[in-house]
Amino acid sequence: MSKYHNKSVLLEIRDLKIDGYADETWVPIIKGVDLTLRRGEVLGLIGESGAGKSTIGAAAMGYARDGTRISEGSIEFDGMELTTATSAEKRALRGSRIAYVAQSAAASFNPAHKLIDQHTEAPLHYRIKKRMEAQEDAMELYERLRLPNPTEIGFRYPHQVSGGQLQRAMTAMAMSCRPDLIIFDEPTTALDVTTQIEVLAAIRDIVDQFDTAAIYITHDLAVVAQMADTIKVLLKGEEVEHASTEKMLDAPEEDYTKSLWAVRSFKRPQKSRPEDDSRPVISVQGVDAAYTGGAKVLDDISFEIYPGMTVAVVGESGSGKSTAARVITGLLPPMSGEVLCRGEALPPRYQDRTRDQLRQAQMIYQMADTALNPKSRISDIIGRPAQFYSGLKGQGLKQRVDELLDLIELDPAKFYNRFPPELSGGQKQRIGIARALAAEPEFIICDEVTSALDQLVAEGILKLLDRLQQELGLAYMFITHDLATVRSIADEVVVMQNGKVVEQGAKEEMFTPPHHPYTDLLLSSVPEMDPNWLTTLLEERGVDNIGEAASV
Amino acid sequence: MSMFVIGYYAALITASCIAAYFQNRKAFMLLFSLTLVSFVLGIVGGVPALRGVTIFAGILALAAGTSYAFREFLIQVCSPAIAKELRTAPLTAAFGMFVIFTYAIAGIFAPWIAPFDQSEVIASAFEPPNEDMLLGADQLGRDMFSRIIFGARNSVGLALVATVLAFVIGALAGLYSAVKGGWLDQLSGRVADVIMSVPSLIFALLILSIFGTNLWVIVVVVAIIYSPRVFRLTRAVAGNVVVMDYVEAARLRGEGDWHLIRKEILPNSTAPLIAEFGLEFCFVFLLIAGLSFLGLGIQPPTADWGSMVRENATLISFGDITPLIPAAAIALLTVAVNFVVDWMLFRSSGLKEQ
Amino acid sequence: MKDILGLVAKRLGLGLVTLLVVSVLIFFAVELLPGDIAQAVLGQMATEETLAQLRLEFGLDRPAVVRYFDWLAGAVTGDFGTSLIDGEAVTAKITDRFINTLFLAAYAAVIAVPFAIALGIIVALLRNSIFDRVANVVTLTSISSPEFFLGYILILYLAVKWSMFPAIASLSSSMTFLEMLERTFLPALTLVLVVTAHMMRMTRAAIINLLASPYIEMARLKGAPPWKVIVRHALPNAWAPIINVVALNLAYLVTGVVLVEVVFVYPGIGQLLVDAVAKRDFPIVQACCLIFAATFILLNLAADVGAILTNPRLRHPK
Repeated sequence: MSKYHNKSVLLEIRDLKIDGYADETWVPIIKGVDLTLRRGEVLGLIGESGAGKSTIGAAAMGYARDGTRISEGSIEFDGMELTTATSAEKRALRGSRIAYVAQSAAASFNPAHKLIDQHTEAPLHYRIKKRMEAQEDAMELYERLRLPNPTEIGFRYPHQVSGGQLQRAMTAMAMSCRPDLIIFDEPTTALDVTTQIEVLAAIRDIVDQFDTAAIYITHDLAVVAQMADTIKVLLKGEEVEHASTEKMLDAPEEDYTKSLWAVRSFKRPQKSRPEDDSRPVISVQGVDAAYTGGAKVLDDISFEIYPGMTVAVVGESGSGKSTAARVITGLLPPMSGEVLCRGEALPPRYQDRTRDQLRQAQMIYQMADTALNPKSRISDIIGRPAQFYSGLKGQGLKQRVDELLDLIELDPAKFYNRFPPELSGGQKQRIGIARALAAEPEFIICDEVTSALDQLVAEGILKLLDRLQQELGLAYMFITHDLATVRSIADEVVVMQNGKVVEQGAKEEMFTPPHHPYTDLLLSSVPEMDPNWLTTLLEERGVDNIGEAASV
Repeated sequence: MSMFVIGYYAALITASCIAAYFQNRKAFMLLFSLTLVSFVLGIVGGVPALRGVTIFAGILALAAGTSYAFREFLIQVCSPAIAKELRTAPLTAAFGMFVIFTYAIAGIFAPWIAPFDQSEVIASAFEPPNEDMLLGADQLGRDMFSRIIFGARNSVGLALVATVLAFVIGALAGLYSAVKGGWLDQLSGRVADVIMSVPSLIFALLILSIFGTNLWVIVVVVAIIYSPRVFRLTRAVAGNVVVMDYVEAARLRGEGDWHLIRKEILPNSTAPLIAEFGLEFCFVFLLIAGLSFLGLGIQPPTADWGSMVRENATLISFGDITPLIPAAAIALLTVAVNFVVDWMLFRSSGLKEQ
Repeated sequence: MKDILGLVAKRLGLGLVTLLVVSVLIFFAVELLPGDIAQAVLGQMATEETLAQLRLEFGLDRPAVVRYFDWLAGAVTGDFGTSLIDGEAVTAKITDRFINTLFLAAYAAVIAVPFAIALGIIVALLRNSIFDRVANVVTLTSISSPEFFLGYILILYLAVKWSMFPAIASLSSSMTFLEMLERTFLPALTLVLVVTAHMMRMTRAAIINLLASPYIEMARLKGAPPWKVIVRHALPNAWAPIINVVALNLAYLVTGVVLVEVVFVYPGIGQLLVDAVAKRDFPIVQACCLIFAATFILLNLAADVGAILTNPRLRHPK
């Protein structure tokens, strides 16, 4: 904080309260937050979903999203009070002195206009530059942000440019009027780790070069550690702690902050394949697959999952890891190759499988919201598989449901008759697990089960899965893009890229060099909780050798 | 200047002042701009124009008052869950519900409400209204009022039957196509496309010219014409539900199609389907009214609003509004249903930007 | 560009196939007639000989498929056979009336389309204001009213009470264009009222639908004023739905004209169709149905092609 102590205050938020509209009434979602930002300072806002970080980001521009309103407090930007300013006055600040970088660049660029026309809109609107000047400036910014073909890329339409490049183009657009403040609202959350790095590096450089103040909103601690000078931790609309990045990482004061930091410490001892000649529960052999009319998504995939073991399938989006799960469950019949269950070939289509074969393999989904029927009671959701496979009825069924609820650590008396929308994200995910367990399977596919959850909740789910595995001897196929999760729960790892298995083996082997180059790239791209990690990495790799440029 | 005009302006200005005093900006702007508009209207149209404005405002106020009272009544009568929903209903929706309620009463109890039978000749042709006949006689000397009451039963009943049939055909096909996918989905989609590529009225005329104007022919034809609309909507709504993970989970469990439809898909698509039922009813009702107006709907002597308009149309050229009454009855019901549907669509679309 | 041409060609092909299927439907629907056409024409009093003779005259001795292709070949070259009632050529009866109908529809469209789209945009801009609410109620009422209700109200006030326009829209060849416009003003106005309400609501909905998109929020956060958000950011993406709305309503104009023509005794193809249905003059019914269906399909086709052409993703492929 000391670095900016003598600089003037740019943004001062005092006792900000914001209400959200829900169920016909206004309920507080931000409950009195203070914030001071000096010129050139980068503030990291961090918190779980629902902490209100994004709402505060919008409020810093004097903007209240639909269904929210600023009820109390003051927001002073460079001497101007935004809560009482007219909409025209506030509008005059946006784009010119305060700019915004949204989470999804693909959705936030207007598909009907070229990138450069959207870029020059604000400078032209404010008559800061002439069109040609603005375009030249855009090209220069593109070059600084290390976009390929900086003189040409602006003349493309958004859908013609990749996600990581769009995110950088949006950062360039935010810079177009050289604002005093930029709000970055989770700018890399939607990106793969290898793409994330280049965007992070680009954002950090440009903010440094122009000495722009920024509010960087994210839920990822390691990311914010690279970007911010100071960090503010939020919980449910209230501030928990505020300190400089170093202090926050080394010596957090509050229990909640400490618990956030401690999350990734959960680690389970690695198990190895059973010594006896027991068969794998699931064995995928030489599978090729494609969606109708499309190109091959899976190319000669083989791996095996032994009883009681957790196999993590790792890869970035588009690597084919979820498609592999669809082949195993029979949703997508393979073009060639087969899936064996305990040495017995499964029919390729799920419609042709017997009830018992279907029972063997259960799924747990990423989005608990869409995985549970919102119009079914919890007792029906969990009870149906038990009734369907085991023929339980009446009292026996009720007892089984209670048993399952106990197993996932939810109180049967409280949850038996409720509906999914009344539950929290973690509770929903637990119900999803109970539904899978109700079938009494030997093998469960966990498809990114923790990636939509907050870290503490995710930790709870991982521990629960681990306990269940020990008690019930389950085998897991754990699909994930998050290497931290792999580290904590996997026994074996399968790394996939572009529909192929790049490398597979026991976890310890995978995490110790030498790696396959792609595994290496993946591993080194995962942000670490060290504020100098990005700097060190860039020095190692060289500025021009990151992300897409670092082809394998 | 008549007392009426003085009273008129005095009332408006007083009301404006009251609104201004209580800082009700919207009401003030409305009242005061009405005052200003009235100056112009008064100069151009004289007292009758101002009288017209007063009558119009009175009718509007009466309708608003009725709607408000009816909404309160419904809130008191209904269960807490429905009452909570009803509280969000705008006055237009309450008005719609009130009108639908009135029509339902008229239709169900028609023989008790109507003073005469629908085909009973009691006077000479086109006799003007008198003590016996509230709205006068029609072209054959039958009581207009009784025929309008019976029309509520016949016209609305026929449209309702046709809508239900269209809905059953369309919704079932839509749900099955969404669940099954593949060639069945493709085929039903194409069939729907073909039916929808013939304009509905033209389609109806073609079939009616062949099979004659039998009531069942009308019901079946209209149901077939409008089922593709229901099909498309159901298919789209169910299509959004079918891709949900909980449906996939149920499929992988080995559940049959009927279970998927009944337990997983239908409960999650009711809101748009109910709204669509209202919309569909309006279309069907208007189509059947149009056919009747062309003389191809319900055949005489059965009372029917569409044909009543046609039969009495000659009166229009004498400046008599009698033929407009059954036409207005049609319009009023359709407006009412549309008001309710509008509110339901707004509710089911969530409170996103509107 | 190749993608677009492919898509458009595919869509055209699909339209052609649909038209063909519809023609099959129209032709064979008449075959479903209880008995056959000869019986329908002669009625109860027919003797076996007269029936046989008439069947021979209509060529009913040949199989239906052969007659279908005859009929289709005739229709393509503009020959729809002869009327069952008076033996006149159907084409001659239809041509003038079809032109009249098109004139009325075009008259209404020229007023309604620009008016409705402009109003729709304005209402979207002023959403949730009193103006918007009133417009909502008025358009809903207009949509909900049967055409003959609107038509008779206009006749009652504008023609009978205030004698501003003629109530009956008869045409003659000696009229000047202006006279024709005056004569057909009331039917055109009726159509305008119905269609404008529809188009305006759908334009409003199409624009407001887009206002929830992240790129609209981005435009606002770049400081764009409300009108610019709508005109520059929402409108270019709303063209596809708006074109659809326009085509749908033009198609509706061409068919909604039937009722309006009857109300105003306008010599168009719609009235001819209604008469033919009452008299069970099947060649005329078939011809009219085919013409209406073809117009309808053509307009929908135009809408789809328009939607393809305005989609930036398709116009500028990767």
